[in-house]
Amino acid sequence: MDDAQVVAALVRRCVAGDATAWEDIVRRLNRRIYNICYRFTGSGDDAQDLTQEVFIKVYRTLDSFDVEKGSFMTWVTTVTRNLLVDHFRKTKQDRVTDSLDNSGSEDEDMLPLSEQIADSGPSPDVRVHRRETQELVQRALQKLSPELREAVILRDLQDMDYKDIALSLKVPEGTVKSRINRGRVELARLLSRTYRQVM
Amino acid sequence: MQGEFQNGFKCADFDALLTEAIDGTLTGTQSMRFEAHRESCAQCSVLFAEAKAGHDWLETLPEVEPPVNLVKLILAATQETVRAETDARHARQSWSERMRELLALKVRPVFASVAQPRFAMSFGMAFFSVTLMLNVTGFRLTNLRHVDLRPSSVVRSYYETTGRLVKYYQNIRFVYEIETRVRELKRAATPEEKPSGSDKPQERKEQNRGNDREKNYQNYSREDSSPYLAQMTNGVQDELTAARRCS
Repeated sequence: MDDAQVVAALVRRCVAGDATAWEDIVRRLNRRIYNICYRFTGSGDDAQDLTQEVFIKVYRTLDSFDVEKGSFMTWVTTVTRNLLVDHFRKTKQDRVTDSLDNSGSEDEDMLPLSEQIADSGPSPDVRVHRRETQELVQRALQKLSPELREAVILRDLQDMDYKDIALSLKVPEGTVKSRINRGRVELARLLSRTYRQVM
Repeated sequence: MQGEFQNGFKCADFDALLTEAIDGTLTGTQSMRFEAHRESCAQCSVLFAEAKAGHDWLETLPEVEPPVNLVKLILAATQETVRAETDARHARQSWSERMRELLALKVRPVFASVAQPRFAMSFGMAFFSVTLMLNVTGFRLTNLRHVDLRPSSVVRSYYETTGRLVKYYQNIRFVYEIETRVRELKRAATPEEKPSGSDKPQERKEQNRGNDREKNYQNYSREDSSPYLAQMTNGVQDELTAARRCS
């Protein structure tokens, strides 16, 4: 029995009123949902709140889940994506509008990009640089439009296939691929601009 | 994008295969044509490099560790939500809806086994029998509308009914006693005839029957009303008149 079948069985038990099945579902999915939320919002607190909201919504609407329409994971991803978009709209006014370029000016002694990507050495310096690079990438990700951001997160960070992403985002597969390409290109341009200024 | 290049491979085709090329899933002819286009088209070459760089940047992002208590918080939040929704629903519900819900949850499962055709047939027959009996006895359910169910009225009805029953019983007893007396007087007033030989046994039988009946009446009268019988000898006619009035 693969993971999807196990989750489907858990969902059936949960709908029948089995509380332990719900706990199993939460334990299996919380990490994934939290990661999607964290990468989309860039904030640990927001990610935690949103993850709870996602599970509350999933719990309330568990009866409406239809196995015929796709996997449970895809359905949960759709719920997550909808809540993230709602959250994005709500916090539009409050969002920090600091320039990515300004934030990059603090890291003047950073290694060239190619070296940072390839570098996997365990030394403290390398670890610090890697963490800083990750922060920069996360900030660049925040600069992408929600459509491009969600597409690259689901593909490059969650390893979902194009078909499931298309189901989750409710757009054709071709649109998904186009958004992923545009998202990657946009991200690379943002980061290269940042590093050009730094260098 | 300049449009068509060698082998009819366009920039749009390149764009469509870009994700597969970065994923490394292009094979055979498609891969060769893609690579050929990339080398010959400067714009597509840059596009590929940027997309690849973006993909590589994203690959550097590790999976983040969720907070330790996240699962507990989620479980608590879902339970709290369910409880709040249940309370809110109960607050909105009228008592009849609550009763209906209680019936659905508690009573209906118990009677589910009884709600079968054979039981339904039995209940139907029982209902039919009771209805038929009520109709025969002249009982109408609509009469119940006029019943006064106040406690004072119920008590008054009880005493009135008891009084009527006692009065009816006494009247019946009185009538029997009067009849007995009259029969005695008749027998006393009629002269005894000498019975003939052939009719003697038959007459004797009749006389015995009459004596038995008389004994019965007397026994009945003697149970409770001996003093009354003592007075009867003087005013039988008056009592008889009174009894006729009562009956």
